[in-house]
Amino acid sequence: MPKLKAVKTGPSSYQVDMRGWMCPYPKYALEALLCKLPQDSAMALQVDCPAAITDVPAVARALGFTVEPVIQTGDGEWKIVIKNYD
Amino acid sequence: MLAAGYRWRKTGEKLKGDIYLNLWRRPWPLGVGAVALVITNIFMFSYARALGVFPQIAMWGSALYSFLGLPTESPFKPYPVKPPYLDMHSMIDVGIILGALAAAMLASEFKLRKESWQGGLQGLLGGILMGFGTVLMPPCNVGGFWVATMAFSLSGPLAALGLLPGAYIGGRILQWQVQRAVAGIDFSLAPEARPVPARGNSRQPIIGLAVLVTIAGTAGLYLGLGMNKVGVLLLFGTAFGIIVQRSRLCFVAAFRDIFTLRDGTVMKWVLLTLAIGAVGFAILKGQGYQPEHMVFPAGLHNVVGGFIFGIGMTLAGGCGLGILARSGEGYVRSWLAILGGMLSSGAWVHIYGRKVGEGWLYGKPVFLPAYLGWGGALGLVFAFILAFYLLILWVEAGKNAKAQSG
Repeated sequence: MPKLKAVKTGPSSYQVDMRGWMCPYPKYALEALLCKLPQDSAMALQVDCPAAITDVPAVARALGFTVEPVIQTGDGEWKIVIKNYD
Repeated sequence: MLAAGYRWRKTGEKLKGDIYLNLWRRPWPLGVGAVALVITNIFMFSYARALGVFPQIAMWGSALYSFLGLPTESPFKPYPVKPPYLDMHSMIDVGIILGALAAAMLASEFKLRKESWQGGLQGLLGGILMGFGTVLMPPCNVGGFWVATMAFSLSGPLAALGLLPGAYIGGRILQWQVQRAVAGIDFSLAPEARPVPARGNSRQPIIGLAVLVTIAGTAGLYLGLGMNKVGVLLLFGTAFGIIVQRSRLCFVAAFRDIFTLRDGTVMKWVLLTLAIGAVGFAILKGQGYQPEHMVFPAGLHNVVGGFIFGIGMTLAGGCGLGILARSGEGYVRSWLAILGGMLSSGAWVHIYGRKVGEGWLYGKPVFLPAYLGWGGALGLVFAFILAFYLLILWVEAGKNAKAQSG
């Protein structure tokens, strides 16, 4: 499977593009990604799996992270922003 | 007049909120999807037959081999090879694909989701395993576990014994794959880039509406030609596709996440639907309505078939119902999984030499009320549901214990 990459989109905001990764991959990737996220940062997970928009926020919240409302960015594509600060 | 205008406007706003947004734009709560699925299943059983999707896929595979010059009989006796558009069973599957397509379009959630070659190969391999699982179990996760259990077939609970470890192994493979993909990420070295831009308005809802109208028109045409069951099962299939797409109810997740994430949320809803379904089926079957329907051979092959099917469905990213619905959502991996399932299950009569349910491999069908009476059969099915529920609570408690000690 292809490697995932992170990009920096702002001073303390990052983006990981998981489009093309069907569920449950985004949910399964989440804990490892959030463990690596620097302090006081936000990660935007870009997904194209309909189940991820409910699964991913639920897992992130269960791990103690803050999740912003999911934004649909196109047909069948969403952005889920997860922060490790309130 | 002013009051009437106000009421019309308010009614319009409520319609948009209640009907369009809740039904088509926002995901349905999982429980709503689960209960809708089982009620639709009871309705369809009372009309003609209960839900099952893989024997049709097997028949399509046998038809494909025959078309390519290798005369091949379908592995499932009640599903002889015939053109899918004349086959009421196939219409359930076609309806699921089209229903999910329409629902995804109405929500602007359709996308042609291409795959890496590894992902495509995994879908094909998963489908091939599902095909072998379906002829061994028989049939698939939904028909062989979910419906079979509520139809009082001993094979249903036995299939769960195989599906659970199979889905766990498949889930571990998926976890391993994604951990490898994430391993190289270092946020401190991340290059700067612009965020993925949001795109403008979608035209998909209009196309989705057109798909729904076309389905209704096709069903009407079948009814006009006197092919009532073909037309009505197309509509039932469409309903299943819509329910699965909107609620994201996933039977793979139900089995897979119990041990991979110690999360039994989906399976708990599935167990509730089993309880509802068992009551519905008992009422119908208890009055002599199709008592043998969805009662399959019982034996070790249920466990082995469930195990193989469990690995396959997890790699493919959907059980039989799931790959059909996800095909409608545009997943190329699901298309390949259907093809893989057709190729393996469709060739079963050449591999085994006989049909499903015949010969040394298969046990006899066990309809529980015939052995235990209705009280005993209901008691056994509810005991199974309770035992499964307790297992989930026990596994989930392990997660909490880990969190406590950590």
